[in-house]
Amino acid sequence: MTDKKTITIALAGNPNSGKTTIFNNITGSRQKIGNWPGVTVEKKEGLISKFGYDLKIVDLPGTYSLTPYSIEEIVARNFVLEESPDVVIDIIDSSNLERSLYLATQLREIDGKVLFVLNMADVARSHGTKIDAEKLSSLLDVPVIFTVGNKNEGMDDLLKEAIKLAESSPVKKEKRNVKYSKDIESAIVRIGDLIEDKVKDNIHYNFRWTAIKLLEDDKIVKERFALKAGNAGSDIIDEVQSLRKNLLNLYDEDTEIIMTDDRYGFISGIIKEVQTISPKRRVDISRNIDLVLTNKFIGFPIFIFFIWAMFQLTFTVGAYPMDLIDNGVNLLSSGFERFLPESIFKDLLVNGIIAGVGSVIIFLPNILILFFCIALFEDTGYMARAAFLMDKIMHLIGLHGKSFIPMLMGFGCNVPAIMAARTLESEKDRILTILITPFMSCSAKLPVYIVLAGTFFAAKAGNVIFSLYLLGIILSIISGRLFRLTLLKGADAPFVMELPPYRVPMLKSLTIHMWDRSKMFLKKMGKIILVGSIIVWFLSSFPRNINYSEDYTSILNNINESFKEKFISADENEKILLNEQKLAAIAGIENKMNSEKIEKSFMGKIGKGLSPVFKPLGIDWRGSVSLLTGVFAKEIVVSTLGVLYSTEKSNDKAALANALRSSGMTPLSALSMMVFVLLYLPCLATITTIKKETGSFKWTFFSITYSTVIAWMMSFCLYQGGKLLGFA
Amino acid sequence: MKRTHKQEKKQFEKFFKEGNIDNFEERFKVLDTFLQTENHLTSQELTKMLNDNGHNFDNSFVKDTLNLMCNLGFASKNKFDNGIIRYEHRHLGQHHDHMICIKCRNIFEFEEEEVEKLQIKIASAHGFHMLQHKMELYGICAQCLKERVKSMPLSMAKPGERLVVKDITGGTGARMRLLSMGIRPDDVLEVITKVSRGQIVVAIESSRYAIGQGLSQKIIVEPVKN
Repeated sequence: MTDKKTITIALAGNPNSGKTTIFNNITGSRQKIGNWPGVTVEKKEGLISKFGYDLKIVDLPGTYSLTPYSIEEIVARNFVLEESPDVVIDIIDSSNLERSLYLATQLREIDGKVLFVLNMADVARSHGTKIDAEKLSSLLDVPVIFTVGNKNEGMDDLLKEAIKLAESSPVKKEKRNVKYSKDIESAIVRIGDLIEDKVKDNIHYNFRWTAIKLLEDDKIVKERFALKAGNAGSDIIDEVQSLRKNLLNLYDEDTEIIMTDDRYGFISGIIKEVQTISPKRRVDISRNIDLVLTNKFIGFPIFIFFIWAMFQLTFTVGAYPMDLIDNGVNLLSSGFERFLPESIFKDLLVNGIIAGVGSVIIFLPNILILFFCIALFEDTGYMARAAFLMDKIMHLIGLHGKSFIPMLMGFGCNVPAIMAARTLESEKDRILTILITPFMSCSAKLPVYIVLAGTFFAAKAGNVIFSLYLLGIILSIISGRLFRLTLLKGADAPFVMELPPYRVPMLKSLTIHMWDRSKMFLKKMGKIILVGSIIVWFLSSFPRNINYSEDYTSILNNINESFKEKFISADENEKILLNEQKLAAIAGIENKMNSEKIEKSFMGKIGKGLSPVFKPLGIDWRGSVSLLTGVFAKEIVVSTLGVLYSTEKSNDKAALANALRSSGMTPLSALSMMVFVLLYLPCLATITTIKKETGSFKWTFFSITYSTVIAWMMSFCLYQGGKLLGFA
Repeated sequence: MKRTHKQEKKQFEKFFKEGNIDNFEERFKVLDTFLQTENHLTSQELTKMLNDNGHNFDNSFVKDTLNLMCNLGFASKNKFDNGIIRYEHRHLGQHHDHMICIKCRNIFEFEEEEVEKLQIKIASAHGFHMLQHKMELYGICAQCLKERVKSMPLSMAKPGERLVVKDITGGTGARMRLLSMGIRPDDVLEVITKVSRGQIVVAIESSRYAIGQGLSQKIIVEPVKN
């Protein structure tokens, strides 16, 4: 590598301004593009080499302003402030110039190098809006270029302009900034001068900007300022407070509101100069679709239908490739069984890894379809409408409609679901949503239901599984309400959400979207489930030398001997019969031996140790062990059951079902186990995510304890209650 | 009515003679014309009326006479909200109550037996001998009230209505959020759908917003004037 110069470019802009599309175009990365506000919850980076430079492109979350009202705004602002990118590119939706300029003027105030991109100008033009880019550029003294993101037009111009800007020498452009009302302006100057006089060396942001933020009573800037500026700083803050008080008396309005008005006033002046609108009547298709999909009477039934269709598609269409994969796994397993020499390695491979991972990988089709449907909701723009429709119901929990999106995604996988909670503005809402999302039955729990319900409820399995999902939803509502009234008191944040225009989803984007999430599932499989499977195998196969209660080898020898004698005196027909009898007898003894082997393995011992806890729930030691291993990932519950019951060395589902039935498990205890699986502590990956998102061990620990206690209590009531009522 | 005026003329003559005021005949003519109208007049209007009836007075004389009458208690000078001074003659012993519309500036007279009685009662209870009274009620007249556009919270709006945002109430946080998202006073919005009380979808130009109940109660709107 030559020592090329690295330029950091940040992409900022309103939600749905086409920012993520431009980011994808530039970096060519497999990055999500969504359609509900704020799908870019993470700071995404892409590194490319072009025009002789290394360009580090950072995609900031879509925001409306740089006030710290939501996590995304804080993330975006912190990046611009703290990491001082060489250039900030502000992507402006041309058909929404006025609002876009609100963010743009705030970016300008920070005093970095800003480049304006008028995106989707073709759409705006077709709506009759024309923008004079040259005039805009000269009025604000900012380079302005045009792009059409979804047609990949103007990307090179964009990068060239950004590089040119990065290489230019910085100039102060204060003249072209927003000029506030006279009294506010003099307050800004006063505070700015105070900062310059007293705490100049401690504050490395633009003084005017800092003064403006302090006058706006920006909590984060205030805190940071107080921290850095020390004693002199608290004097300045006192001064700010008294100025704010004066301004409040003067305008009878909070200073930040007046300043917002001033900004819009400044913007409308610019708009008058640069934008011409010819009154072209057009049919707003999105508006007409909204008339139907958000309709008072039919909106909700349509929504229920979509959700129902999603699950239907997931489970019926998913069943076909599932069988294929199942056969493939069996083929692989029996292939290795036949061709590898008998060894501990073979045992690990066949009974540990293939059995474990194999029993999980067959659910990949379901997961792919589910994520595809969710991607479809997002990319068409329906997700935002779903959030709106659910708003009223979510109020039961004390949350608003936006929290529904993480919860819906929770049906797929809790990890991206919990991450999606970032779009909620209020910290309390976010924690509350994170706490109740694990009750949404994720797709990993489905295999457990399919095996258990399929075995014990046969024709009614579908209804049983549906009621489990319902139970999860009801418990999340009750828990949410409970937390809202106790731990997380407070009014729910105001609900306002932009409904993006409906868009025909692009297949490429859908697949990227689906694949991104499924990748998470596969990665989990690769790491956690593989390791989990090996651990389960190890625990169930060791210790190797077991003192069996009976001498099985000699019993087997005796059987062989006795049948040998019988064979001598038998004719051809009798021989066939005798052979069958012999095999059955041997299998019976081998089963007994295997059972004893597992019972005396480490796994068996752990299970036995745990069984007092699970006995009141009707779950035996094998169940206890599988629940324990399920903490790695819920899918492992099934594979552990497979290993524990693998009496016939087969991963066949039918065999497992038979083994389960003959083990003394009843429909009631199976139901109790399913309820426990539904509710108990989330998987390792989810726990890690909860920790990361709440940033608190306290909440993580609380989530684990709460869900497990609830799970135990529910299962206990169900099992004991059921027994009392006579279902055994 | 006529009789009342005769009475007033007699009183006028008596007072003028006691006060040694000149030009009685001329001044009486002014009074006579003045008493014949029940309108509230400016001095100019009265001058014009007199001259239209074949007299020849100048405005300063009329004004002087009107002021005299005011001093003697026969007339009163009313300065209404718009700053124009109008004179009206007093029916001594009679009521004179006004309702003044602050919007269209129209003046409405009214008469209410109960109020009159009550005034006498109050005055006599204080040992006060009431010569006359003046009551002015300021407010909005029925016509103006009918024409006034009603503002309401957005939560009350119906699908299909076009409305102007008049005000956003509520906490600073919520207001700032709406402002930065592009929902601002004077914006014209159209209600697309409404799911339940206040759960509403609105369109402003090409953007659509879903707004929850709590917030839609805080957005004050008025119908668009055509």
